[in-house]
Amino acid sequence: MAAEKKLSKISGIFHGGVTSSIVEALNSAGIVDLQLTDARTLMLREKKGPFGIGFETVIVEEHADFLSFLVPSKQEKTAMNLIVDKSKMDTSGRYTIFSEDVRLIKNHDLCQENFIDSTETGKTYTLQTKLMGICCIVYRGEGNHVARVALDTGTCVPGVTFGIGTGLRDKLGLLRITIPAAKEVINLIASSDDAEAVMDMMINAGNLDQPGKGFIFLYPVGKGIINRKVTRELPKHAASMEQIIAAMDEIEGGTRWRLRSMSGKVSESKQKRAYLENLTNLIVTCNEGRGNDLVKAAMSVGAAGATIIKLKHISPSDSEQSKISPAREESNLVVGENLVPDIVDAIEKAGGFDDKTHGRILAHPIPKACTYLGGKK
Amino acid sequence: MAAQQQAVGKIKVTFTQAIRMLLPYVRDRIMEQIKSVSLIIVYLILFQTIVLQMGIVEASVISVGLSLVIVGLTFFMEGLMLGLMPLGEVIGIKLPQKSKLPVILAFAFILGMGATFAEPAIGVLKAAGSSVKPWEAPLLFLLLNKYANYLVYAVGAGVGIAVMFGMLRFLYKWSLKPFIYILISGLVGITILGYFDPNLCALTGLAWDCGAVTTGPVTVPLVLALGIGICRIAGSSGDGAAGFGMVTLASLFPIITVFTLGAVFLGDVSKPMEETAFFSKGNQSKAITLFLSKEDMTGYAFRNASIESQLALFGGDKNEMLAYLNKLKQNDSKRGEVFGQEPDALECWAALYGSEDQQMTVFNNDKDAVKDAAIHYARLVPPIKVFDILNRNGRAAAQAIIPLTLFLILVFIIILREKLPHADEIMLGITFAVFGMFLFNIGIELGLSKLGDQIGSKLPSSFMSIEMKEQIRNITNFKKETVQTATTSEGELKEFFYLKTGSDYEEVPYYERGHDEEKAIYSYTPTKGPLYGSERGLIGLIVVLIFAFIMGYGATMAEPALNALGLTVEQITVGVFKKKVLMQAVALGVGTGIVLGVAKILWGIPLVFLLVPPYILLLFLSKISTEEYVNIGWDSAGVTTGPVTVPLVLAVGLGLGGQVGVVEGFGILSMASVCPILSVLSVGILVTRRQKAMLQESSKIVIKGGNS
Repeated sequence: MAAEKKLSKISGIFHGGVTSSIVEALNSAGIVDLQLTDARTLMLREKKGPFGIGFETVIVEEHADFLSFLVPSKQEKTAMNLIVDKSKMDTSGRYTIFSEDVRLIKNHDLCQENFIDSTETGKTYTLQTKLMGICCIVYRGEGNHVARVALDTGTCVPGVTFGIGTGLRDKLGLLRITIPAAKEVINLIASSDDAEAVMDMMINAGNLDQPGKGFIFLYPVGKGIINRKVTRELPKHAASMEQIIAAMDEIEGGTRWRLRSMSGKVSESKQKRAYLENLTNLIVTCNEGRGNDLVKAAMSVGAAGATIIKLKHISPSDSEQSKISPAREESNLVVGENLVPDIVDAIEKAGGFDDKTHGRILAHPIPKACTYLGGKK
Repeated sequence: MAAQQQAVGKIKVTFTQAIRMLLPYVRDRIMEQIKSVSLIIVYLILFQTIVLQMGIVEASVISVGLSLVIVGLTFFMEGLMLGLMPLGEVIGIKLPQKSKLPVILAFAFILGMGATFAEPAIGVLKAAGSSVKPWEAPLLFLLLNKYANYLVYAVGAGVGIAVMFGMLRFLYKWSLKPFIYILISGLVGITILGYFDPNLCALTGLAWDCGAVTTGPVTVPLVLALGIGICRIAGSSGDGAAGFGMVTLASLFPIITVFTLGAVFLGDVSKPMEETAFFSKGNQSKAITLFLSKEDMTGYAFRNASIESQLALFGGDKNEMLAYLNKLKQNDSKRGEVFGQEPDALECWAALYGSEDQQMTVFNNDKDAVKDAAIHYARLVPPIKVFDILNRNGRAAAQAIIPLTLFLILVFIIILREKLPHADEIMLGITFAVFGMFLFNIGIELGLSKLGDQIGSKLPSSFMSIEMKEQIRNITNFKKETVQTATTSEGELKEFFYLKTGSDYEEVPYYERGHDEEKAIYSYTPTKGPLYGSERGLIGLIVVLIFAFIMGYGATMAEPALNALGLTVEQITVGVFKKKVLMQAVALGVGTGIVLGVAKILWGIPLVFLLVPPYILLLFLSKISTEEYVNIGWDSAGVTTGPVTVPLVLAVGLGLGGQVGVVEGFGILSMASVCPILSVLSVGILVTRRQKAMLQESSKIVIKGGNS
């Protein structure tokens, strides 16, 4: 077991049809430890009213795959270029890719970062910087309503995955079945200038600061390409709005020029709201079925609960990593930084890094988060 | 944050708190079931009272039954979600990781067999074939009665093989399409060949219906969950429908095994023949192979065959037959073998079905006794035996769920050597499922089935006149003088008289045979219909077809297995493929299928003409559909015919069949399975087309990601 390492976690949300070719490309480049989960992406579509009178904007959903893997920080750019290049996806409106700086805190020997061994890098693509990720956890069925904020503001196409909540619920004995555990996890990437405003609007949309409504947090994102095709309609003009925005972004070297449109909306949601600051997200990945035990161990030393997302572990069958169960799960625990050592110890004691569990703990900082804080300020 | 953090351990919940948590939970789930069954219930009640203009008999029992259906479904669905499906999924995940292929295949075969024995649909098939006559369809009769066990084994083996292939498919990532191409073209071939052999032709309906019926509300969710678990280990990436397809195989393989079984016994039975020839002395040795014993055959002939055939059985000697009946009166054990164990079975039969000579013999030449008995037995409604109903349904529910789950749990603990995760929740789920199924079955029996039977038996009245046997009336002091004569437009004379009931004057037709002149009693059976249009007119028939469509649609929306499939599809596609959309598509398909099935009965269309074209069309549709929709579409066909649809379809099928006079009520169910595949695949093709168009559009707006 190695000491703490700084790595880069690359994630991508792709239309379901292209995933297998991307996985193949990554495998042949030496990336053998991949995680995949089912997701859906949302877009807006204008729907004509009856007899063509009036219209409403409805959400259309599409099946997508959420892929992620670890590489050393210095290979971050190479890995991202590889995805764009090998999958020939140099069109906008099909995918989102982003990277995060994470700390690998502790891991089973098999669950390490990947090394890209092919030196041939192909073309390089411009990747946006100054980004911020927003992750929001709500009850199942509420996801579209909250995620729509990202579409309405033209921020990006959000990706939604299913998760299962644990925590308070598991302390209720069999009565726990009365509380729905099914959650939806919304992921979106915004420019760091807009992120807080978008987060505020999402809190308003989902009443996330009310009891039992959900949890939302920001996380730093290194580089990325954002899927900005938020509407699904046929082009009405020679250039589509996305093209113009993308061209402007390129000229301006970022999305800061768009700030004005957002700041107007921020003011209406300006309220006195207590935020949680300087937390850490611990991402505990382990074999299916073990997640609950590990979360329980973490809760015994102070963690509040976790959202568990089911993953599929993909590795070529001739690689060492194929010993890891293909059915994996990822528990996201948001905790104070001071609790991290205790939790890691507790998880290790619970067998988190043995051959049955193949555990791995990643951490990344959460600068700002919001949920119902009870009576306390 | 820290304020929220509490030490691990149970939180004490006070009773009031617990109730406050339970109430919304229970309310939500009951409301959901009310939503799913209300359509069919309200529709049936309105149809009976408004369209058929009939009151609902036993309304209080039926309403109790209907509420039990709702409560039962609530428990059962929750049991599926908490217990059976998670259990199936964990086994699916662990089994391929921990066992070798032979173990997996053995497990699969036992599971498939076990599931069939646990939910024997044979009762349903027997009901559908209750009017099958041994002389008209000897092979069918043999398989439904004497060899019913072999039929169950054949279906079980079919499902077992199907689950084995399903596992292999998941493990080796085979597409479902080749299976469909091979199986369907094979089956269509057999069906067409069978059309030319009268015995096999009659078997066709049974074989296809076996495929439709075998996959019940316990098997389907279990098998689905298992498949999903396996695909989490073995499935390929980016495959939206991984885990589906097993139900399809489980509906197709039994058709093959049943046809095979039929072919095995084909040599043992005679060709269909005339009724009297069948019972004649010359054919007796061959005929008896269809029955358990000579007594069984005699009893069957007495109950179901014409008097000539009965005489043929005794070599045309009337006295010998009467002597035989006399002997039965004295010999209790022999009577039991011929007429069944009820002590008054002989009298009941003689009064209702016997010829005059037979009645005289049984009732010792007492004419009045015959008359009284006839009225007594005709009006006799079998009383509801509460204990019997509880006992029977309790056993059925326990039998359907407990052995199968026990097998799964044992496999998990002994072969996989794992600790059951959330064991308490799974146990609670299984308990819920058993209890739910128990209530649900009672509810179906007392509520939905009764309602369906009432409508089914009276449905023909919309297009033809039918006799209302249970409303038989006796008019005492009847005077012949009141009878009048009327003429038809062809000049034929008809006799009738006026009957005053309350303040209304009603015309009643007069027939000689209903008039007992000695005692001045006229007994008559009121008729009803045709309510819409003329006798066997088009309007009345259209009313029946529309009824069939809406009934199929409504019943499908209430099917628990389809609900489970819909939820699974929604879960797997992260909410993109909505349960609502799937259920609508399937329900429209089932509605259409039932309309076609009813048309088969009304106009006596051979099943082969209705089955072969849609399946050939399906081969093409499957070819151009995506793997995802092929899996989901074909699976939804297997789950449509469940505990809500089947009794209603049978009631309607038998009600119509009985009045129209057809050999058997088979085929509606298989039609109800094929049409949903068509509708789901069509929806799928439309959706994929639209998606593709959109994708192409978006790829036309190429933005170079700034290649600087």
